[in-house]
Amino acid sequence: MSARRPHRAAPLLWLAPALAFLALFFVAPLGGNLLRSLTEGQAQDDAAFYYAKLLTDEYYLSVMWETIRVSLITTLICLAVGYPVALFLVRHAGRWHGVLLFLLVAPLLTSIIMRTFGWRVLLARRGLLSNTLLDLGLIARPLDLLNDPVSVFVGLVHVLVPFMVLSIAAVLQGIDRRLEESARVLGASRLRAFLSVTLPLSVEGMATGAILVFMLTNGSFVTMLLLGGGKVVTMPLLIYQQFTMTQDLAFASAMGNVLLLAALACLALQVGMLRRRGMA
Amino acid sequence: MRAGSEMTGPVALTLAGISKRFGATLALRPLELEVPAGRILALLGPSGCGKTTTLRVIAGFEVPDSGAVLLGGRDVTELPPNRRGLGMVFQNYSLFPHMSVAENVAFGLRMRRLPRAERDARVQEMLEVVRLPGYGDRYAHQLSGGQQQRVALARALITRPAVLLLDEPLGALDKALREGMQFELRELQRRFGITTILVTHDQEEALTMSDSIAVMSAGEVVQTGTPREVYERPRTRFVAEFLGTANVFAATVTGAAPGGWAVRLDGADAAAALATPEPPQPGRRILFAVRPERLRIQPAGAGIPATVRDAVFRGSYLVHELAVPGLAAPVFVYGQAGAADAPPGAAVGLAWRAEDAVPLADPP
Repeated sequence: MSARRPHRAAPLLWLAPALAFLALFFVAPLGGNLLRSLTEGQAQDDAAFYYAKLLTDEYYLSVMWETIRVSLITTLICLAVGYPVALFLVRHAGRWHGVLLFLLVAPLLTSIIMRTFGWRVLLARRGLLSNTLLDLGLIARPLDLLNDPVSVFVGLVHVLVPFMVLSIAAVLQGIDRRLEESARVLGASRLRAFLSVTLPLSVEGMATGAILVFMLTNGSFVTMLLLGGGKVVTMPLLIYQQFTMTQDLAFASAMGNVLLLAALACLALQVGMLRRRGMA
Repeated sequence: MRAGSEMTGPVALTLAGISKRFGATLALRPLELEVPAGRILALLGPSGCGKTTTLRVIAGFEVPDSGAVLLGGRDVTELPPNRRGLGMVFQNYSLFPHMSVAENVAFGLRMRRLPRAERDARVQEMLEVVRLPGYGDRYAHQLSGGQQQRVALARALITRPAVLLLDEPLGALDKALREGMQFELRELQRRFGITTILVTHDQEEALTMSDSIAVMSAGEVVQTGTPREVYERPRTRFVAEFLGTANVFAATVTGAAPGGWAVRLDGADAAAALATPEPPQPGRRILFAVRPERLRIQPAGAGIPATVRDAVFRGSYLVHELAVPGLAAPVFVYGQAGAADAPPGAAVGLAWRAEDAVPLADPP
């Protein structure tokens, strides 16, 4: 036992640069944030002032609920859109696998601002989509998608669906096709075989994708800002406003911490669910 | 046949002129195969010979380009796998990792919508048949290879399938376990009287377990027969050498001999005889094979002159490696252990009974 001790220190040494980086740029700012939210502004007299305001004021509670609702809907859409794509990618793409993979990741190569403005051009009242539909005579009046929550979901799903697809595809890749074939021989139709074998075995991939998409939606605000037309107000957007317009840094910090806590709670919930299913 | 119905008795399986092409490669040339009801046939051949494709055609995973698959005389060529009422055991067992042993075994019955009580009773019964009572709640990853194999077998047999397909079923087991399982599988197959196709590249497995063997090569069945027939009367060099060890000699037919032909060995310039019902054609050049255990070593001067190169003790038998002049390949002779071995370098004579020499169809 003691002879093995020296080897144990080595892996920690390799982690040191990463740990130092995280401590300096992640843990320290988080600590600062926490301190600011408890001691500055109106919290100078009452440390819990901002937190009490956040958790009791109806407006802020509704924003928090809206944040979770938007994240949930985005996650579900990504799951519904992403699963078939992942299945196709793994099972049927063949030599097109690489090309499809590139097309899938391509949106992530553009900056988020450019991508979002791209959607604005497409979805605007006098934008490409609306004009084309008008020209084709499919609609009578210009569509105002840009000031509709729909455009927020379009923008979010567009950029987040690759995370879902890649998470699911990675798990599907590892599922032996002979499992489904066994089910077929035992009397399961194609659909039954998929539902009773492949789908349950890919739960882990769906969960990973769902956690990723949920957390990323939770924290995004550019899409809501540029595509929501002020109709979709979530926590990050509120924080952004507190920071730039109201300049109430302490309140913004408190909101950030609550958002972080909510995200962590959701993560714990999902991991707990996986554990119960014996998947993690 | 709906998935819900069960076959009443064993049925014969017939492949009539099955061919299959994958792109430019012809995986199966028109292939004929017949397994009588309740019998077990081994498809034996090296990898890539088409035996797995044949199995997949029978299972319904591949649709042949031509020909028909008949189950008890019924054409099932166009039926999907789930409507054929078959059982199959895959090489890696393919147990569902997210289901317990009992759920795995019950799967086929669940697909047939059997009432729960009957399902549970039959699962218990089946687990006892494969000697795994009380293992129902475990998961595949908690079982040994041999146990997983038995669960896979139970899962395949519980639906009382018309035909059982075994794809290299013992390939993943270690040698000691494999031999035990060979007999166990054979015993179960007999007990259920189930028509079975066993795909294997292991000649010993094929010999031990089957009523008949079909040797495949390059998408064709090159010989079919009982294990004994195929082993003792191989038709080609490929069959002779794939199923066991064979010494192959080149010779010229010189005339008739009792029960066959008299031949003159190329190179060695020695006379020999071999058994065949065909009339001799003097002057014809042929190849023939003799199994190592059918060769006899005699004192020098008798039979075909040869030199001992090596003698190896293999436990239950002795191997002599001989050099025969004019023959590039060494000749192997298996003798009973305990018999006196000829020392390396000794000059000896090589002999066999005419009926143990088999002419091969290959051109010399």
